Amino acid sequence: MNASRIEQLKEDAARPQSFSLGEFIRRRPESITFFLLVAICVAVAVANPAFLQPATLIDIGRASVVMGLFALGVFIILAAGGIDVSFTAIAAFTMYSLTVLVQSYLPGIPIAVILIMAIVGGALLGVINGLLVHHLNVPSLIVTIGTQYLFRGFLLSFIGTVWIMSLPPQMGAFGRMPLFQFESANGAVITLPFYFLVLPIAAVATWWILNRTLMGRAIFAVGGNAQIASRLGYNLKTIHIFLFGYAGALAGLAGIIHVCANRQANPFDLVGTEINVIAAVVLGGARITGGTGTVLGTILGVLLIVVINSVLVMVGIPSTWQRLVVGSFILLAAAFFVTRQRKK
Amino acid sequence: MSAMTKNAPASERFLELRNIQKWFGGVHALRGIDLALNLGEAYHLLGENGCGKSTVIKIMSGAIAPSEGEIILDGRSYTALDPIQSLGAGIETVYQDLSLIPNLTVAENVALSEQLVGAHGRLARLFDRSRLRQTAERALSTVGLPTDRAFLNTVVSDLPLAARQLVAIARAIATRAKLVIMDEPTTSLTRREVDNLIRVVERLRSENVAVLFVTHKLDECYRIGGHAIVFRDGQCVAQGPLEDYSKKQLSELMTGRPIDAERYRHGKPGDGELLRVEHLSAPGFSDLGFSLRQGEILGITGLADSGRNELAMALTGVAPATSGSIALQGRPVTVRRPADAIAMGIGYVPEDRLAEGLFLDKSIFENEIALILTRLSNALGVVDKKQGRAIAARLSEEMRLNTKDLDLPVGSLSGGNQQRVLIGRWLSIGPKLLVLHGPTVGVDVGSKDTIYRAIQALAEAGMGLIIVSDDLPELLQNADRILVMNAGGIVAQLDAAEASEEQLYKAMLSSRKEHAQ
Repeated sequence: MNASRIEQLKEDAARPQSFSLGEFIRRRPESITFFLLVAICVAVAVANPAFLQPATLIDIGRASVVMGLFALGVFIILAAGGIDVSFTAIAAFTMYSLTVLVQSYLPGIPIAVILIMAIVGGALLGVINGLLVHHLNVPSLIVTIGTQYLFRGFLLSFIGTVWIMSLPPQMGAFGRMPLFQFESANGAVITLPFYFLVLPIAAVATWWILNRTLMGRAIFAVGGNAQIASRLGYNLKTIHIFLFGYAGALAGLAGIIHVCANRQANPFDLVGTEINVIAAVVLGGARITGGTGTVLGTILGVLLIVVINSVLVMVGIPSTWQRLVVGSFILLAAAFFVTRQRKK
Repeated sequence: MSAMTKNAPASERFLELRNIQKWFGGVHALRGIDLALNLGEAYHLLGENGCGKSTVIKIMSGAIAPSEGEIILDGRSYTALDPIQSLGAGIETVYQDLSLIPNLTVAENVALSEQLVGAHGRLARLFDRSRLRQTAERALSTVGLPTDRAFLNTVVSDLPLAARQLVAIARAIATRAKLVIMDEPTTSLTRREVDNLIRVVERLRSENVAVLFVTHKLDECYRIGGHAIVFRDGQCVAQGPLEDYSKKQLSELMTGRPIDAERYRHGKPGDGELLRVEHLSAPGFSDLGFSLRQGEILGITGLADSGRNELAMALTGVAPATSGSIALQGRPVTVRRPADAIAMGIGYVPEDRLAEGLFLDKSIFENEIALILTRLSNALGVVDKKQGRAIAARLSEEMRLNTKDLDLPVGSLSGGNQQRVLIGRWLSIGPKLLVLHGPTVGVDVGSKDTIYRAIQALAEAGMGLIIVSDDLPELLQNADRILVMNAGGIVAQLDAAEASEEQLYKAMLSSRKEHAQ
């Protein structure tokens, strides 16, 4: 009796090994994202071969950095079953206050210190989120809606509303600093900026934290079932503070890169793009209910959104259509995953 | 089970509770509990819902602190434990909900706690993947689960329930536990799975691990053996070897009143035929035929994969039959969805009342009238609350709910009361046939008694009842006839007044080949 039971379980366990596409997609939902991304790229490349030029690809890379950093932060919080909508406000707050600070008080400070200050500043604001979520014991959606207004309100009321057009020189220089540079066929100089490196570094760091540290496993455990995780001895307070602090740090970094890349600091920027970022993370296969998803999927989701936003125009689809396309993709992917789940 | 442990000298004291008191607000939940647990022994903590069992477990596992008293763990005295201290000392709890993290793999669920405890709960640590795998392999093989990589990497939510139960136990022993507390571990298991669990317990005891069961099922206590600890109203009313107590004595100690463990069924079924099923097939069973008279109680049992669950769902439209016929009072009927069944007067009390049956955050009143909302509402769709309340009050009365406050959320009631609310709801449509699936799963002895009495009263009133259950004493005590299913067919039909548990059990387990011929 015992033996037959074990055999049956062994059979069950062995089943996923026999390859089934449906099962594969269920286990690795980001494969759908990858497939969509490839399909779009192929379609666009066929319709307009200019897409495959290095210039376009580098544009996509450059446009992914800020959104990618945001998305990694959103993903790590989503993995723990929470949600954050205040990250754009954290980014705006950090980048604008820091620009003002550097411009008025610390003009000569090196860019490395500015970046570190952005990270620390963002992390501090994030920790406020974490403490509120933990101690109020209120869903993080509500808390971060509140803090989004709070951070942004504080920024606009007390720090300033003036659009800063001329950045401190070291920040502008960082935005222009090339990672590599070459001349395209038509003679224009194409640059992949140095700051692009931040995204792969942040992605690898996030992956490492999630997959190689106890904290990472704890984050997924909390995303699976917070009550049980706490019963098993995971310290929810530490986890909440780390999560939101980490997401805040990424947001702060994203904010300052946004300023350097655009060579201006507009306090009204960024806020309003939350849904776009959350859409990217969800398209990357992370379930909104938490506990699932991968860093790779998140990055693929970001690329998908950036590609849709920047290249549809190349094939003659009006930019107003972008939302239609993103919307249908999200519904499509969601419907697909849900039917997969039901079949289970 | 080696000879060595059998002859072991008086075993070592591991955990002792002295005069533990616990107040929750004004409620005195524990009134001076004294308990001692020795290594290598099995204990059964018995008591009705609300007697303080779960509070004591939570104190042992460090989830809550006692208001007063002393805990002596491994020779050291504490006023309260925290979860990491308790885990560090080797106290592991397998909660009724199993406390598995659904989105993590088997290996992580089993072996991550070891590393967490090793890091004293600090999370800024690398986690050791190879050690994770080794620990998981060792623990899984102890409970008889596979240890190949595919199984280790399976996400727990993809496993069947019985395997999850074993994974939860594997986690408990992965950290070299000295005391494993199991909170109602057999509630959701079939008989065969319970047998396997009992073997695992034997193995744990032979490795000098103490096991503390918290349970309602007295039959299983006797099969496992060991010491009984009986709680009532926050006090320990008996403690000693199980052999010293009869089942009846234990029941009476738990409830504080005499319990009639004899047959509940005294009535006789009526003459008219209520239900006739012919050549009924669906995924899970095929070509079934049986009939049911007015006022008859029919028991259906079998192993989990025998098709009994599918039959219950086919009769009630939850998972409709693919072929065959169902006739109610001589008229053929088609049941394609639950609404059809309800319209024809077939009620279904599902096994998983929490997921399938009740709106836990809604009040008793709202749950009771959920099926008759259209009847209670006027042309504008406004529900007549006054009439609804009157009906809900009557149903609660009939089902002997132990509260008069119909506005209490159902989630705050005990399992037995929740079940009574659910049965009461079906009475609101005045069904001709009621299909009860595991009516007393997770329900304590006292509530069982009330539920059985209610079932008998329904049959007396002429309703036909089908009880699908693997609680064999329950069927023997309540039914007129019992059908035993195996491999999708009916393999035996027994008169419940004459049959024995052994007979039923044998029919349930008879090999499939025998019946295929």
